Amino acid sequence: MRKLLSMSVASGLLLTGAAIYVYQVSQPGTVRMRFDAVVGNKPLVFNDARYSNPGGAGMFRIRDFQFFISNIDLHGEKGVYRVPDSYYLARFDNSSTSYQINLANVPRDWYSAVTFSIGVDEVANGSIMSVGDLDPNSRMAWNWEVGYKFLLFEGALIDSDTIRPLVYHVGFNENRKTLRFNLPEEVAPDSSDALLFTVDVLALFTGKNTVDMAALPNVKFDRDDARLLAGNYGTMISLTARP
Amino acid sequence: MESGGFGSINKSIAMLSLCGVMLIAIIYGFVAYIEPKPTPLQGFTAPFVFGKFRVPVDNPLTQEAVQLGRRLFYDKQLSGDNTVSCSTCHLQHLAFTDGKARSVGVSGKTLDFNSMSLANLMWGPRHFFWNGRVDSLEEQALAPIQDPNEMAQNLDDLIDELEADDVYPGLFRSAYGKISAENIARALATFERTLISADSKYDQYLRGELKLSAEEELGRKLFMAHPDVKVSLRGGNCIDCHSQFLTSGFNAQFDGFSNNGLDTEALLNPGLQFTTGQVTDRGKFKVPTLRNIALTAPYMHDGRFTTLEQVLDHYNEGIRVSDSLSPLIMEADNQPQDAVNIRISLNLNEEEKRAVIAFLHTLTDHSFITEDKFSNPFDADTMPDA
Repeated sequence: MRKLLSMSVASGLLLTGAAIYVYQVSQPGTVRMRFDAVVGNKPLVFNDARYSNPGGAGMFRIRDFQFFISNIDLHGEKGVYRVPDSYYLARFDNSSTSYQINLANVPRDWYSAVTFSIGVDEVANGSIMSVGDLDPNSRMAWNWEVGYKFLLFEGALIDSDTIRPLVYHVGFNENRKTLRFNLPEEVAPDSSDALLFTVDVLALFTGKNTVDMAALPNVKFDRDDARLLAGNYGTMISLTARP
Repeated sequence: MESGGFGSINKSIAMLSLCGVMLIAIIYGFVAYIEPKPTPLQGFTAPFVFGKFRVPVDNPLTQEAVQLGRRLFYDKQLSGDNTVSCSTCHLQHLAFTDGKARSVGVSGKTLDFNSMSLANLMWGPRHFFWNGRVDSLEEQALAPIQDPNEMAQNLDDLIDELEADDVYPGLFRSAYGKISAENIARALATFERTLISADSKYDQYLRGELKLSAEEELGRKLFMAHPDVKVSLRGGNCIDCHSQFLTSGFNAQFDGFSNNGLDTEALLNPGLQFTTGQVTDRGKFKVPTLRNIALTAPYMHDGRFTTLEQVLDHYNEGIRVSDSLSPLIMEADNQPQDAVNIRISLNLNEEEKRAVIAFLHTLTDHSFITEDKFSNPFDADTMPDA
């Protein structure tokens, strides 16, 4: 009698445990993405003229640097998970000069690649609805007729006694860059560390074409200039090599 | 016998449970009596182009809170000598400014700053005062009341005064419960949140109800553009700090604070540096809403400009350089810049300056400055001391 009781209790516990396990592994979870900013081989420090003009004379400082990450897709064994309303404004003016995205409710799967855009898609760029971090009343909005800045860099170039303002506002639909990263090992929601990316601010001026800030101190609405910088920022994000 | 015994036990259990239920009901009824049940504010709307807004969970918009807040806002009892109310420096017909370069409170001393317009306060920077030193309207509300130069009121004394009043104990009871400094702040903040200006000519234009005149439309285009000589785009540069629909500073973090070139390095006021402790924030001030700007002269944090023409002249050719000056102001020019001798000027012509001012006049909202719900409730009362 007692044996029967303990056996049924044990099997009950086992069943409950199994049920909880099955329930848990079928539940969606969180995938985290972290972006750490650097300037070439140096850390990012704002408001300090410590970086050399890559294409010419003078030192530059960074007052503001931010850009949109959008349309995040996770590629898994069961298919592609498109993160809904994924419009994130990455900014690094914090003590760790990093930006983290927590993707909640990601379906249970093993994901081997991630794709996302620098910039926003044509539909969002032509809309005045507030979705995700898109806000038509923010500093990233030009105005409703032009759309959003995809990337904003503001600072100054200092050469002997001359201080020149640097203003790089890059937008336009053709300058959205979609990047794909094949992950070194597959990740599952909740069970893996954050996906680590490095954002190299300097690549904006060195990525494909080296920019002399004195010759090109601002980029706003000129299509060729914007395309030049977009070609560069298309190279600025990489997976962080794990030690 | 046995069954009878059980029966009596059952009866006493039943009796006990009944007593228990009654006790709970009485306690519940008592709590329900002392806990106010204010009515959620009806018909509260704002244009979707203003974007999302947040009301603190512990201070929802209710009719009772608005009524109480409005009364407090206009009540001179809030100052130490009962001569000054919030409305002394925030007059409805001037879009809740006072027409002075710098405000004057009970001490008679001229304050350091210009009275700020109170409109659409749930959007734009979530930091209040010109230097952004508080993060909520609730926190903001208690500061001028206690400031010795503004309203010079001790909060405990104020609570005593309000408790002795004929009207306030009832108003507080139905809105929040008891009279406390916290609830005074909550009520004032709630009233301020209802001050929405969304029926200017610009709003009507945005809703497709009318067309702007040719001059206003030119001004609007200039307002909404950062100039770029490379593509022959002329711009007034306003939108670099004043968002397109709200016309206020930006709401993310401290993006809504800027150094707009009023002073040289030596004369720069700390501004936002007071709040953040960052030397790079020296000379940055809150970018105010431009709604009703034609009514809210004088201009700037210290009221140094008396007309919009002076303001345009400042942005066009009066910029003073300092280290934290916005690079967007430094760089903006409607003529090609000399790479060596940088002379900061927007280089708008007279016609363009007039057009920007014409557009700024489309931000005047007459229904906002005449709305009964925002007006002095004592005017309609038969208050003996009002």
